[in-house]
Amino acid sequence: MNVDAVSDIFRRVLENAEVSADSDFFVMGGDSLLATRVLSAIARACGVELDFDDFADAPTPGALAKKIASMA
Amino acid sequence: MSYPYCDVTKAFADAAGRHPDRPAIAHNGRSLTYAELDAWVRATARRLGPRPGVVGVVTSRSAATVACLLGTLAAGGTYCPIDPAHPEPRRRALMSASGCRLVIAAEPGASVPPGVRPVDLPDRAEATRNAGPDRADSAPSSASSRVAGSALDAVPVAADDPAYILFTSGSTGEPKPVVTPRGAVSTVVGALRDLFGLTPADRVLQFASLNWDTCFEEILPTLTAGAALVFHDDAYSGSFRRMLRMIDAERITVLDLPSAFWHELVRHLVEERAALPASLRLVVVGGEAVNPVRLADWCALDTAAIRLVNTYGCTETTLITHAVDLHGPLAARRAAPWRAGERVPIGHALPHVRQHLGEGGELLVGGPSLALGYRGRPDATAERFVEIDLGAGPERYFRTGDRVGRTPDGALVHEGRLDHELKVRGVRVDPAEVEAQIAGHPQVGAVAVAGAVVADHTTLAAYIVPRSPSGVVALADDVLSYLRDRVPSHLVPSRITVVPELVYTASGKVDRAGSHRRYASAAV
Repeated sequence: MNVDAVSDIFRRVLENAEVSADSDFFVMGGDSLLATRVLSAIARACGVELDFDDFADAPTPGALAKKIASMA
Repeated sequence: MSYPYCDVTKAFADAAGRHPDRPAIAHNGRSLTYAELDAWVRATARRLGPRPGVVGVVTSRSAATVACLLGTLAAGGTYCPIDPAHPEPRRRALMSASGCRLVIAAEPGASVPPGVRPVDLPDRAEATRNAGPDRADSAPSSASSRVAGSALDAVPVAADDPAYILFTSGSTGEPKPVVTPRGAVSTVVGALRDLFGLTPADRVLQFASLNWDTCFEEILPTLTAGAALVFHDDAYSGSFRRMLRMIDAERITVLDLPSAFWHELVRHLVEERAALPASLRLVVVGGEAVNPVRLADWCALDTAAIRLVNTYGCTETTLITHAVDLHGPLAARRAAPWRAGERVPIGHALPHVRQHLGEGGELLVGGPSLALGYRGRPDATAERFVEIDLGAGPERYFRTGDRVGRTPDGALVHEGRLDHELKVRGVRVDPAEVEAQIAGHPQVGAVAVAGAVVADHTTLAAYIVPRSPSGVVALADDVLSYLRDRVPSHLVPSRITVVPELVYTASGKVDRAGSHRRYASAAV
């Protein structure tokens, strides 16, 4: 998954169009419940099953896309 | 139906006597038998000594914390969980407000405030050496526990001795310590074993944080029924795929989830067209209103064989007081599917509960499950625990602050709060407590905290007015880190917005909802 695809998931889950590659999910109002939606959407899109710790380490679309690439 | 007083520690010891070799706790695939857990509990109680007073326990999701809980109760002490994730000043304040004299940490070397004595948890291997499944070769299966037990049985406990102290949100910024007596715990645990229909064949997932009372409704009915309590990291990973695989592999039969988390599970199941593991027979939800749309989705899945039970209760009335089967084999049939806008009932009073609808439709709860009150807070206790006479003499009732109505079949429906309290993922939050904390920041001039519904669950939104215009830059981030250093995460708003002024009511009070309405769109 590339950065744009992850950004799209953030936009949909946060219901916020102003997501860029370095938007921090948890600063933009994301919480652990909404985080489960992001993790499910990523798993569905590319099969990579990340967890909360992975997301906390990489809370932006840019960092998350890198993490997914490293685990795929 | 009544539950004569039989202490929960005795109910556990009886279960251990009946099922010494069955698994009591499974943790990431490793299990501890009832005989082993019983031996660990007794060793913990001996280490604490008789009547140790309030015992702080630094919690973790582990068998060790369960041994501390049961060991404290077996010694005649009062359990008080201490969340290691709380900021240090908060932990100290809670220990002091609870009157904690001893602290047990599963890992040695925990820092404790002056005046509090640290106690090491007895080593599990040492405590359980004579209780392993193979001890039957050398001794009758219950001999060791009977001998060890005799010393403990000498600690007399009464139904009104305090069992645990937990905190609820208080408007002054200080949390209120709720003291729950042993009789309330044993009564409710008995009622929940019946409600859940637990048998030794059950395997119950331990999901709730060990710092909130919901964990007791998972732990205590299970361990007094001879069933297995299952801890597994995959349950808390945030990945529903991993969680569902784990439920299947661990053959979990019972889940007890916060409603908001269950909403996300339903969404996941629908979007993935995933099936629920066949082992599941009961899903208990509670803590927040059930969303009727998610409920309709659940009913449309292959869930007819699974009991879905909605529950309601307050810390002050001990775990669960009301419940109803919403779907599955014991649920009343419905003519039409659930639709958006309908109110999903919170249920009928359990057999031990007396209920009364007071002024403004406020639910009052009486009976043997009431807490003793708020420790050290006679004013707050008198305000919420009231004596009323409904014809049979004065009786003690707890004013829940919840407005309720009734469905035609007598189940209660929640219609709102009489005060400003919010439920944030099942935890009661008084917005005034959060405001009091935020107002302590030197650059904050005024603040309003409101509940905001985001994606099926309630979150906190804070609106702050800077004390001076020069302080605006990065104030929201600054307040965020200020809060994270002082309060637990459920009191940290998920959105903090700096605004020029708050909205006030005609009488000059801050209008929380009005401030939220004016600025909510700007916050997104």
